[in-house]
Amino acid sequence: MSKSRPTYSPLYLDKTGKRHLIVCDTAEIPADALADGVTPDMFDERWTIAGHSKAIPGTERGAVADHEFRSMNHMLIALRRRLGEEKMGFRLYAVGAEGFLWEVRTAAIAVGMGGGEVQLNQVGSQARRVFCNHCRTITEGVTTNIVECAGCGAHLFVRDHFSRRLNAFAGFQVDAEEPGDIPEIEEIYR
Amino acid sequence: MIRHDPLMLRVSRIESLSPTLRRIILKSANGEPLPVAGPGAHLSLTLASPKKVYRNSYSVVSFSGDHYELIVRRVEDSRGGSAFVHENLKEGDLLPSTVPLNLFPIQVGSRKRLLIGGGIGVTPLLSFAKVLQESGDRFEMHQFVREDEKEVFENLVQGVGSKNIHIHTRRPKDGEIQALLEEQPLGTSIYMCGPDGLMAAVDEAAEALGWPENHVHREVFGAAGGKPFKAKLAKSGCELEVGENQSLLEAIEEAGVPINSLCRGGACGECMTSLLEGDPEHRDHFLNKEEKESGKLIMPCVSRAKSAQLVLDI
Repeated sequence: MSKSRPTYSPLYLDKTGKRHLIVCDTAEIPADALADGVTPDMFDERWTIAGHSKAIPGTERGAVADHEFRSMNHMLIALRRRLGEEKMGFRLYAVGAEGFLWEVRTAAIAVGMGGGEVQLNQVGSQARRVFCNHCRTITEGVTTNIVECAGCGAHLFVRDHFSRRLNAFAGFQVDAEEPGDIPEIEEIYR
Repeated sequence: MIRHDPLMLRVSRIESLSPTLRRIILKSANGEPLPVAGPGAHLSLTLASPKKVYRNSYSVVSFSGDHYELIVRRVEDSRGGSAFVHENLKEGDLLPSTVPLNLFPIQVGSRKRLLIGGGIGVTPLLSFAKVLQESGDRFEMHQFVREDEKEVFENLVQGVGSKNIHIHTRRPKDGEIQALLEEQPLGTSIYMCGPDGLMAAVDEAAEALGWPENHVHREVFGAAGGKPFKAKLAKSGCELEVGENQSLLEAIEEAGVPINSLCRGGACGECMTSLLEGDPEHRDHFLNKEEKESGKLIMPCVSRAKSAQLVLDI
């Protein structure tokens, strides 16, 4: 396994922090995303993604501990705004698919949060976002070892090289040397 | 051992800022270009007084291509270095120095820097404030000084031209540091330099408010002396007396036993030595809590003994 590939572990409550917000890309925070003895109610706030158009997050910060969002983008807008207003002592936790985790991490880095203030744990689908090294398009939801680029149609070999900045795995054309010589395509990232 | 070719500097100008503060301008003795000193860098000068040779580290307040600016405080219980600078150093004198070393650099990636200084601890922070002001990066500086030095410090910071520098002519009041830290946005880093009491108060408030340790940076002055004690060097078979105005490192050097050193202020870890016996009084900021409690390592540049004797594995 390459060094760029992030590793994840169950989230523990960092007691050195003073305020704790956990964000999750599904409607329920999966219990196995949290370390033994840690439960969602230990966090001051829980933000989840309901995935339907009736979800309305509360507007009063801190007044309600649970907020539901329509989508990841809907949540990220609120999260960026919130991080911009937060003070030191705040801790952020994210649970979900890898693409979601690194969107959250990027928002945290943008406000100067360090590695110790953010915890990430991958749960659910192992599907990858794949960055085409040739046309720079990102292909979403890739579960196979080789994928046809959504931008240029090249058959990309999905590497284990993960870019935190691009939030994607690197993909390069598998048949560049011998056009048309494409190995067997297998589903390996479910 | 980290070795750097010594730099030969000439004292180009000495300016008295107050009865205890001198500004020293150092230029290259041979006219060659000087190595760059970034914000937070220091020079370790070799000060050869008639009695003794001192090696003292001073922050570079500014670097302008052809000179380094230092500000040196004459301290009451000086081991002799700062007294030498105030009494004996003259314009035109030659001073051997290390190249600029930096153990207190500005880290990238912070959204805001909070600079907290006490007294002469202003020197590295001034170098920061100048650079941050020029780059337009967000910062806020709080400098605590004695009432009678208000004007001197106001003049020092005036050159920076920032409204974000606050001079307080007193010690921090109870809860003041806590209140200051409480209002800092996410992504703030602290850079502090000043008396131990001030830095301990900042550490305490930062910990209580949940600041991660790596958001709190400090510059440490070489600690002054303490009670005399004996040191036995197991491998070289020497027994030393460490005087009250002398560091363990200096005593080892005087005995002619080779030992590495760099910052001479308990920050860099270069002089770390194995301890075989004795109860150390740790004054460094390099060893972590567990290492200090283990009693197996010591930083002889600043740390001393609680017991009558220490036995070192050198």
